[in-house]
Amino acid sequence: MTYKTDEIWEDKWVNTTCGVCYCGCSARVRVVNGMPVKIEGIKDSTMGGTGSSLCGKGVAGLMYYYDPNRIKKPLLRTNPEKGIGVDPKWKEIEWEEALEIISTKKKKIMEDDPNKILFTNQTMRASDGPHNHPYFYAQAFGVKNNGNFIIGGGSLHCGNAAHMLGGLIHGAWSIAPDWRYTKYVLKWGSSKGTGSGHSAMTNARLRADAIRRGTREVVFDPMGNFAGGKATEWVPILPGTDTTVGLAIANYILNTRGEIDEFYLKAKTNYVYLIREDGTFIRDENSDKPLVFDNKAQKIKEFDDKSIAYEDFSLEGDYEHNGEKCRPCFMAVKEHLKQFTPEWASEISTVPVGTILQIAKDWVDNAQIGSTITIEGQTFPYRPVSSVTFRGSQGHTNGIHQVASIDLISQLVGAEDVPGGTMGWPSKRRKYPGGQYERMPRIGKDGVLIPAVFFSHDPWPVHTPSVPCDNSGCVNFWTHCTLSHIPYVKEKDYIHEKFGMGAKPEMIFGIAANFIISQSDWDVAIENFKDCFVVQNDLWVNETDQAIGDIILPDVSYLEKDCWSSEIDAFFFSGSPSNEDWYVHLQNPVAEPIGESRFFMDVYMDVAHRVGVLDKFNESLNNYYGVTDEELKIKPGEFLTWKEIGERYMRWVYGDDKEMIEERGYATWHKPIEDVYWRWNTESRCPIYMEFLIHDRRAIDKIIEDTGFDLEMELDQYTPIPSWFVPISYRELDNEYDLLAFSYRDILHTNNTTFQNPYIDEVSKMCPYTFTITLNTDIARERGMKDGDVIWLENRYGVKENGIVKTMEAQSPRVVGISGQGGLWADGRPIAKGKGSNFCKLLPSYLRHYDPITGNIETAVAVKIYKD
Amino acid sequence: MPRWGMVIDVKRCIACWGCTIACKEEHFLPPGVFFNRVLIGETGKFPSSSKLIYPILCNHCSEAACVEACPTGATYIREDGIVEVDDDKCVGCRACLVSCPYQQRTYYDQEVKDREYFPGQGKTQLELLGEKLYPFKVGTVIKCNFCSERLEDGMKKGLEPGKDEEATPACVTICPVNARVFGDLNDPDSEVNRLIMEKKGKQLRKEFGTEPAVYYID
Amino acid sequence: MGKIHELVQTMFPPDGSGLKPYEWMMNPTRQREWIDKKGIFLWLAFFFSEIGAGLYFVSLFYEYKAGLILGWLITLFLGGLIHVLYLGQPTRAWRMFMKPNTSELARGMWIIGAFAALGFLQIVTAGGFNMVFNTIMAILCLLIISHGFATMNVIKALPAWSSTMVLPLSVISGIWVGQQVLQLMAAVSGTAGFASGMEIWAEVFFFAYFLCLLLYVWGTWHASDIGKESIKNLTNEELLKISLIGVVGLGVVLPLILTLIMWGGDTNGFLIFLRLASVCAGDLAMRFVIMKSAVYKPLI
Repeated sequence: MTYKTDEIWEDKWVNTTCGVCYCGCSARVRVVNGMPVKIEGIKDSTMGGTGSSLCGKGVAGLMYYYDPNRIKKPLLRTNPEKGIGVDPKWKEIEWEEALEIISTKKKKIMEDDPNKILFTNQTMRASDGPHNHPYFYAQAFGVKNNGNFIIGGGSLHCGNAAHMLGGLIHGAWSIAPDWRYTKYVLKWGSSKGTGSGHSAMTNARLRADAIRRGTREVVFDPMGNFAGGKATEWVPILPGTDTTVGLAIANYILNTRGEIDEFYLKAKTNYVYLIREDGTFIRDENSDKPLVFDNKAQKIKEFDDKSIAYEDFSLEGDYEHNGEKCRPCFMAVKEHLKQFTPEWASEISTVPVGTILQIAKDWVDNAQIGSTITIEGQTFPYRPVSSVTFRGSQGHTNGIHQVASIDLISQLVGAEDVPGGTMGWPSKRRKYPGGQYERMPRIGKDGVLIPAVFFSHDPWPVHTPSVPCDNSGCVNFWTHCTLSHIPYVKEKDYIHEKFGMGAKPEMIFGIAANFIISQSDWDVAIENFKDCFVVQNDLWVNETDQAIGDIILPDVSYLEKDCWSSEIDAFFFSGSPSNEDWYVHLQNPVAEPIGESRFFMDVYMDVAHRVGVLDKFNESLNNYYGVTDEELKIKPGEFLTWKEIGERYMRWVYGDDKEMIEERGYATWHKPIEDVYWRWNTESRCPIYMEFLIHDRRAIDKIIEDTGFDLEMELDQYTPIPSWFVPISYRELDNEYDLLAFSYRDILHTNNTTFQNPYIDEVSKMCPYTFTITLNTDIARERGMKDGDVIWLENRYGVKENGIVKTMEAQSPRVVGISGQGGLWADGRPIAKGKGSNFCKLLPSYLRHYDPITGNIETAVAVKIYKD
Repeated sequence: MPRWGMVIDVKRCIACWGCTIACKEEHFLPPGVFFNRVLIGETGKFPSSSKLIYPILCNHCSEAACVEACPTGATYIREDGIVEVDDDKCVGCRACLVSCPYQQRTYYDQEVKDREYFPGQGKTQLELLGEKLYPFKVGTVIKCNFCSERLEDGMKKGLEPGKDEEATPACVTICPVNARVFGDLNDPDSEVNRLIMEKKGKQLRKEFGTEPAVYYID
Repeated sequence: MGKIHELVQTMFPPDGSGLKPYEWMMNPTRQREWIDKKGIFLWLAFFFSEIGAGLYFVSLFYEYKAGLILGWLITLFLGGLIHVLYLGQPTRAWRMFMKPNTSELARGMWIIGAFAALGFLQIVTAGGFNMVFNTIMAILCLLIISHGFATMNVIKALPAWSSTMVLPLSVISGIWVGQQVLQLMAAVSGTAGFASGMEIWAEVFFFAYFLCLLLYVWGTWHASDIGKESIKNLTNEELLKISLIGVVGLGVVLPLILTLIMWGGDTNGFLIFLRLASVCAGDLAMRFVIMKSAVYKPLI
């Protein structure tokens, strides 16, 4: 076997960015005779794994280019009837016709109310990024905020609570352990470093080195698979009960052991702020700033009074201000935590008491409170313990309390954004040497960090709930939603009516989201969206397109995409979260677009141009990048392609190095150590006492009273200190519906797009758990089920899904596991069709199934199981 | 003369399947043909069970059962230890395939050649190009060759296999977590030998007496 | 086989291995190359070589030339040709003489070559039946009879094949079937006494064959865990019928009944024919299930 080199007339490598998931690893593609034949990573880049590496699904990305099922011309539905199993009777039309239909429709709707247009955003497919621009694109049409976005892909399983807390604490989208220096890691329903999460391969590389160095990793997870299966210790836990263990550990640290990083709490958290009896902050009458007590001066002062040394902030004591009794909120936390004993936590979570105590002890022992480390000549507090969470633990109706209690463990020992601790993704993006574009976080109200950039909602400053709502997601009311759940909620119309949201959605415009099958109950989704005119830019006709799509526009895959902006703005979830230099990769086309496919960004601008809002969009681009150079600005009346805009903005962002960077495909520059471990270099405080929730609650109570809104919502969750709330899935368990189904991310798959990739498909079959439904071996035996049996899972609302059983020792006996978004049926994706099982459809979509604060959907569901 | 070998660190491996798929691209392998795989299973009982992940490939044994079984000398061990098939000599008797305790060989027949990645939709340009660039002979046995082409081309350029990615097998280069190390087993100072010594490298199914050149550490 | 559920058909379409792809080499994994699909040729080739050589072997004792000729032809033309057809590159079959030092297959080629040449010589030579010639040919015949199972026997990766009783079973079954063919030839050619006198061979070799079968099963079962898996496979869903009806029914029970009927030389042409047919079917079944049931040891 050998290569026939005489058949080769062109052989080159093109640097680009992987687009198979949202991680944005560096990628280089070998192009032979004009055709991409192999994908690897880029050797020195920190965006990705060791050397020229890439994960399996990244390597498999090649097939997106060769898939004969890609749509090549715009498609128009000719059958007005919509729904699953209905043939849309597609007709191929010309681009001109398609764009005219779309822009005419948009114009007409805008004359009425632009908020009747919904936008989809979807980061999980083979044509990823630009990331932020769809948001200000929507704004150009007059859409006010993130409330008119519906998300496909990871949907509301992924992130609302995690992002809210990431934004509040780290000014970042997500968190990761500082693998370079940590010694002890707790992972709660997250697979960071073992295949999933942001910067997945960057983390995987850092983690592997850490594990080899002796870092211990404890994973709380219902199953011992991707994360648990690789852990030093896998701790089986019931879904959604992480709070109990987190609070028990916090109680141990604070009350049993009494070893906390007092200096950190005084300097970097709002625990020193004085609260009155009702839990709200005592504020200065004039400045409105929260007040603290200076132990040295024995005086109440404003929290940012420079005359107080950190060590002099009072954490405990009873004081009086203007005749009102007050005390630092830390005291309330300390008392509150006393109720959470390991025995109590064990009963709920199934984690043995001894395990909880051992982990709590190891945590404090490894935290090395008081120790410091010198890196690159600078000395930092050294806290080599890290507690991280993501999709799994936060995806419950108690989501914010889950993430807050997991965060609390790190807070108490001061392990936040310091070497070895819990890190946010970079909160800052300093300018490239010689370039202009820079984004730095600011310090906002009450000393809390305002993220330098954040998609969708503003983590800080918080907005108090209000009505009437002017957008589909009602984010005026649900202010902490990254993206709102309301469009998917069964009682959507009732909510809209009660909260004065009059703009009934008429159109959906966006990118390849598969929101009909990727979120919750399919029937509810169809009911909620079918009356809209649905336009999607897509690679194939996916399930959503087939069920309710009206016009499907052929998009380019990342291999054909020319996108200069992909990762420029994504530093807060796509850069290396560790002490590594910046690498920002361009997405360079490695092949010609398939058929008549067009990059969705160019289509977006074409539509904006036709509708007459392009100038507005261009202006917001100029503002976003802060372009002040008149030469480089987009001027009124200009109609440019994304690439043409890049020609100017790349100069702005990278200065004289523009050509060199374009040629090479990436930019790299030094990340200063103080930007990596920024916590002690930034005058901000973590709002871990979530006082704003008290005010939210008051506002909500009033709205409910005024409107007569009477849907079930667990409003007690609007409380400032992390507490235990039972996820709704547990309340739906009984003798009949006796198991909890949960889903998890498989390393091979990015939601459902990857199911259509034949390379991934064939290796998926070689994984025991990817296409199957997992059951604990004993429980399967008890139910008379064995490997290979076809079973049904049915929820109490009559929704059911079938699948093939795979028994597993490493799974809690009380749960059923499905790895995500199979069970596909679109005719346009024959490889994907019929593969795996669909978990999402089993999730009921009543308002009560969503976290009342963040809008996360409950991602566990009570089911009964029976054989086919 | 080196003897090429590999160390696979199962502690690092996260079963991303990069090796498997990169190998398919490197050698333009048709559907269902794998020179690299990952075996996934578990051992022990709940709650103290643990997951097993073993990436596997041809072991390039020095006492290779396949070489012994081959009646024509088509399967042979090169001087550098790589077990290769000379497809001009292979008669397709498959004695090697049946003999391999690791089942790392594939019989390439017309049925395999005719397979399509998108069944019923014709071969893609990628598959057609692959057949031209890296042709397999119908009726012969094919297998992992430790990317001998990469090693040879690389060494011609003065690169060192195991150190320089271009001269190292594709499965090693692609691994995001550095779970694979490639090098010279004859060199006592090589990284592979250091890892085998320090971490007590084990060969798979040593009892068959095949003396694999692939070692596992955990 | 039960009906395959649509979901299983889509996700894990059965490939004949009886395993799902994720079970490959994680569970005992069946040998397929030498029995499934075109591999079936090898099964036939081994069978024909064996009965041809068996016939030749027994004919030597009776200096029965017609038996030699038929045996020689069956071995070379049926056995040899089907062998070559099985190969992926049949035109290169000559290459299989290259490595007799290590490859059992190559050794087999040399033996067949020698058998072809010397057998031809013996057949055409008037005084072919002399002690030296007979001895050489008898040894060659035994080697050819066992060639099929010998190539299997050297495969350490398949304990069911490298089991101790594989070679004796193969030699005995070859002589047993060959003898049966010869006995029929004798019966057909009209010399009743010839056929009847041969019945003592039948009695001895039937019981020897039966004993070998039992010892194979017993020995392989006890040799290793993975050998045990192979023996279990003999009664799996796919093989149970063949094992019961073919190996036991046609290979043992029916011949036993017929042998008892003809006990002491009370032979009958029709019964001899019936027994031959039954023995052939039984032998084919035995070879089939042994080839089909052998499994590899899981790798982890």
